[in-house]
Amino acid sequence: MEATTLKGTQDGYEIILNDQAAMDAAFETLEKILDGLKTQMATSDKHITFDIITGNRLLTSAQRQRLENIFANYQLFSIHKVISNVITKEKAQRMKDLENVHILDRVIRNGQEVNVEGDVLFLGQIHQGGKLFVSGNIFVMGTVEGIVQAGFPNIESKFIIGDIKTAQQVRIGEQFEILDDSTRSKIKTNTVIYVNDLHTLAFGELEDLKQISPKFFNQIGGTING
Amino acid sequence: MGKAYVITSGKGGVGKTTSTANIGTALAMMGKRVCLIDLDLGLRNLDVVLGLDNRIMYDIVDVADGRAKLGQALVKDKRFDDLLYLLPAAQNTDKDALNEDQVMEIVNDLKPDFDYVLIDCPAGIEQGFMNAIAGADSAIIVTTPEISAVRDADRVVGLLEQHPLQEQPHLIINRIRKHMMADGSVMDVDEITHHLGVELLGIIVDDDEVITTSNQGEPVVLDPNNLAGQGYRDIARRLEGESVPLMSLDVEQHPSFWQRVTGWFKRS
Repeated sequence: MEATTLKGTQDGYEIILNDQAAMDAAFETLEKILDGLKTQMATSDKHITFDIITGNRLLTSAQRQRLENIFANYQLFSIHKVISNVITKEKAQRMKDLENVHILDRVIRNGQEVNVEGDVLFLGQIHQGGKLFVSGNIFVMGTVEGIVQAGFPNIESKFIIGDIKTAQQVRIGEQFEILDDSTRSKIKTNTVIYVNDLHTLAFGELEDLKQISPKFFNQIGGTING
Repeated sequence: MGKAYVITSGKGGVGKTTSTANIGTALAMMGKRVCLIDLDLGLRNLDVVLGLDNRIMYDIVDVADGRAKLGQALVKDKRFDDLLYLLPAAQNTDKDALNEDQVMEIVNDLKPDFDYVLIDCPAGIEQGFMNAIAGADSAIIVTTPEISAVRDADRVVGLLEQHPLQEQPHLIINRIRKHMMADGSVMDVDEITHHLGVELLGIIVDDDEVITTSNQGEPVVLDPNNLAGQGYRDIARRLEGESVPLMSLDVEQHPSFWQRVTGWFKRS
């Protein structure tokens, strides 16, 4: 198989960099292909974009730069996107983190800020002045006397569920509610806090979660009853 | 080899300096060799509380900058034969005149010669605080039952978690007014200790004598009958590893005349 192949598909042109070939060879063949294409299309001024398929190879930033440099030599050709079958472990870990429910059992003290990617099951204590910022949902089983934010920094589809009667502030995305004695009296122990259609924070009851967000139960995934 | 404790609080005016002076004096009374370091650069007053302000020749910045030897800068308290020394703070520099390495070096130089090195930390959590915790093996956090002091103490405990010392911190609750704690208008000892999650080292009752004695440059521990002094002596004994029960905070009830009269007729 060639180090680099050009393929036309319904959606446009694909350039496949063979992951078994040496990188240098692949780039050299690529230049030859593009040169050939350029002479064939000498009369046309049609702009062409390519999908670059790297197979089971992940381009390093230097290789990516070299790829872009090669295309910079051709006015009419550009890269649409680079597609790879593989991702880095870090990226995979991050994707996993985003799906995970993290169990957090610690004290967040006055002035401390804790940031978590994904959902959090909170079992610890947040003292007054402590802040917990979570990109996903927050399920509170511990004590919250500080500030909690779900959907950090601006995702409004997330929830805070549990007892947050004693919190100073609750925030979801960019919406926030400052809890004082008048708001506290309205809050039940098992509260669901969500952003409603009017883009304001609403306090619901846990029993009503299915009505509040039918999607929520689909998101969780996993296998129930085999 | 001695041990270095930093006395800190976050909030100002809760009694760090008074506590440093009194715990140091109490330890010296028990025959321990103690060196107190004042790190409140620019606003020193540990020397005043100890009544040593007129004996200062050099200060800690002179030592750090090499203008004086450590031995020259130490001020000896003559009341305790060769047991209690003070390393005074500078007055004409700001908190950034020292760095963490300099303080660590000075504390490490002092530790072999003393049983205890007590570092009086300035209020706040800036460079002065970082300097003070740099050389310490353990921290003593001073708070009062006021929410603002407890809140700042919480912040300091958090900072100490980020810069862990060899030993877990200890807590002193200062300026306790028994009647306010008894009627629930301030947080009580258990609440504060539980909230901060720090081991309680001792409690000090609020007492006018603390101010009077500090004005005279004689720490209140020197008064054998004073309750606040008793609190500091208990703390010194606990630092030495003794187990001393916590002082009772029961408010003494003086029965009125009629209560006593009716008491005589009550069936027992």
